[in-house]
Amino acid sequence: MSLRITQGMMHAQLLRNVNNNLNRMDRNQNVLATGMKIQNPSDDPVGITYALRYRSEISNNEQYQKNIDSAKSFVDHTDTVLSQLTDILQRANELTIQGLTGTNPQSAMDSIALEMGQLYEQTVSIGNDRFNGKSIFNGQFTDIDPYTSAGAANEQADKQKINYTFAAGVTIPINVTGEEVFGSPDPLVPTDPDATTDNLFSVLKGLQNAFSAGDQEKADTLLGQLKSRMDKILNVRAEVGARSNRIDLMDSRIKDLTLNLTDLDSKVEDADMAETITKLKQDENIYQASLSIGAKIIQPSLLDYLR
Amino acid sequence: MSSTFHGIETAKRSLFTQTAALNTTGHNIANANTAGYSRQVVSMTASRPMEYPGLSRSVAPGQLGTGVEFTSITRIRQSYLDDQFRNESKSLGGWEIQTDTLSKLESIMNEPSESGIRTVLDNFWKSWSDLSKDPESVTSRKIVRENAIALTDAFNQTSRQLSDLSADLTNNIQVKVDEINSITQTIANLNSEIQRVEGLGDDANDLRDQRDLLTDDLSKIVNITVLNTAQGYNISIGGIELTAGGATTKITYDTLDEAFGNGDGTGDLKNGEVFGMFFSKEKYIADYQKQLDVLANTVANGDVTITIPAGSILPEGTTLRDENGNDIQFAGPARELTKDIKVIVNGLNGLHKLGYTFSTPAKNGEDFFTSGSGEITASSIRLNANIAADASLIATSLRTSGTGQNETAVKGNNTLAVLMFALKDNKFSFSSTGNGVTSGSIDDFYRSVVGQLGVQSQEAMRQLNNQQVLVEQVESRRQSISGVSIDEEMSNMIKYQHAYGAASRFMTAYDEMLEKLINGTGTVGR
Repeated sequence: MSLRITQGMMHAQLLRNVNNNLNRMDRNQNVLATGMKIQNPSDDPVGITYALRYRSEISNNEQYQKNIDSAKSFVDHTDTVLSQLTDILQRANELTIQGLTGTNPQSAMDSIALEMGQLYEQTVSIGNDRFNGKSIFNGQFTDIDPYTSAGAANEQADKQKINYTFAAGVTIPINVTGEEVFGSPDPLVPTDPDATTDNLFSVLKGLQNAFSAGDQEKADTLLGQLKSRMDKILNVRAEVGARSNRIDLMDSRIKDLTLNLTDLDSKVEDADMAETITKLKQDENIYQASLSIGAKIIQPSLLDYLR
Repeated sequence: MSSTFHGIETAKRSLFTQTAALNTTGHNIANANTAGYSRQVVSMTASRPMEYPGLSRSVAPGQLGTGVEFTSITRIRQSYLDDQFRNESKSLGGWEIQTDTLSKLESIMNEPSESGIRTVLDNFWKSWSDLSKDPESVTSRKIVRENAIALTDAFNQTSRQLSDLSADLTNNIQVKVDEINSITQTIANLNSEIQRVEGLGDDANDLRDQRDLLTDDLSKIVNITVLNTAQGYNISIGGIELTAGGATTKITYDTLDEAFGNGDGTGDLKNGEVFGMFFSKEKYIADYQKQLDVLANTVANGDVTITIPAGSILPEGTTLRDENGNDIQFAGPARELTKDIKVIVNGLNGLHKLGYTFSTPAKNGEDFFTSGSGEITASSIRLNANIAADASLIATSLRTSGTGQNETAVKGNNTLAVLMFALKDNKFSFSSTGNGVTSGSIDDFYRSVVGQLGVQSQEAMRQLNNQQVLVEQVESRRQSISGVSIDEEMSNMIKYQHAYGAASRFMTAYDEMLEKLINGTGTVGR
């Protein structure tokens, strides 16, 4: 049965078509203006869950990046301080070797002892070094200086590490402790002044005392300990360097990850401009066509042809 | 032999009938755009013919026609299409409201955006990480505090918007109740009127159109059953009678609320706008409200497994559950952990209470989030007022030094802040969520809520589109039958106009005949 068509039906149909076209245009226009494919969760319910995850991860990566940046400056600072310390040690080494060559008069030994005293003080002040107001060699007791000039040799710096988060579940300690750098406190000093460990403070103090007392034999023993400490500090520096590398790796990994995530997020969320513009143009054409067809179809009725 | 004026009578009947037809055409054209109007046609029949008259029973063949008369003016309409229309219309009404509500829910959730709960949550977690880098700092604590307030605000506001939406729907239902009552009252009146008019043998076409239109309107609001009886339309929602003949039963909000029942379609109210409103209110909004409550409560109190690193010192007398559900107590020297332990804590609050603030002697952290009223919900969650007033009460340290009155927090220990930041990836246990997620990170849960909303909204839109197409199809069929076609009416008009003209001409011819007979004949002798 063929349908009987009335003007009302055609009007309704035209209106519906024009409206549909306008709707599509509006949607594409919106996508184009915001550059976003997903305006509402209902546009792509699966996509939105991905988009939300990517956004969260990108946002977290920003935080990791910030953490990495501060860790890096901390570690770099530590390295600088350790390099200063190495310089002191080398100077102490030179002085000791100089003092051990058998022909030194006591006056020369005295001036060596004097300089050794200065090196000791400098070492103590390096031990109390602060970065951003925080003590760097005192573990988690960042608000307290670990060493005093008077008793540095048997003072214990805090041994706990400070961890920064660099990725989900990945924490890396950023600090080195005083004990690693300067050696464990020398418990023997108070009881037996002759016996020492390679505690740097105790070694430097011991050298100063040995030279001012002209005790070359003692100084020779201490030289061995100084060398052992130097090796250990080099190890710490190597570790700091390795940590710095690890942080760099982390850094580039996070950067890569962020790039990938941004890419993925963009695939889910961002509008394909070329496609959208093409679609919009197409919609415009269809819209105009539907309008002009409407104008042609709606107007005439038998009425127009009757006198 | 027929009457002298027989022809004039025939012509007169013709004029009357064609006039009626023309008038009806005019009425049709006039109502071409009237909603609910069905075109009317005049049914004409040849009037009763006469036995060919004669002095005695005629032997002449045939009957003498006496012209035309119209027996009725009827509207062209098919009632089964009305039934179909009403059947589809109720679903359209139902889905329209649901789609509308879901799209409002989408704007309330406001995702994807840079200002939704996800962003606020991210910022909150991130501020803990910033604090972990600088645990001694007051500034970083203040940032955590501000982000925590932003988070609770986001929860509170979203929850309030949901409540507002729910209240709007309640109001709208009330409006619809009034509308239903007004419509049923009018239909009942029309029932009586139609019965009265048709009792006299006429067709109450326009009144019937009005009644059908109102019934159509009503069918979108609620699922109605229409029974066409001699007394008129008897309309009911399942077992709830609205009109019976000229009588109506007023309904109230409570009637419909009860009819909605538990909303699974077992009540009398199964479809239509009102059903959509109840469903939106009691299923969608209530459900999202609940999920949001679960989310807020879980952030504050939900069970979560964390690993406390060695070296941490737990508050004296703390009891924590390990993974196997065994309680471990920490007292005396055992307070200091010699190795990493995995324990279950109650959300941010539980974790925060393990930490120490910088006061002397060290004090434990307080509940981080509190509630204005007992249980923590999305609407009641607040940052602890003490912390809000004094950011230094935010604990970051899980380690102390000294004993007794001299026990103070180790300021550089950032363990608690690190653990707090890690919470964003930790799996919480969610209870009675309604969306199936029982374990997952806060982000996972929130994502599933948004995803669920997206799916529901998309589904509702699809249903709405389908329903629109169906309703349009039925409406098109109805229009095809009942709609006024201008072309058709114009053709009819010409037809009737010509018939009218011809009838007039016939009368003139008759007139001329009689003129000849009366005035032109028998002039002899005048």
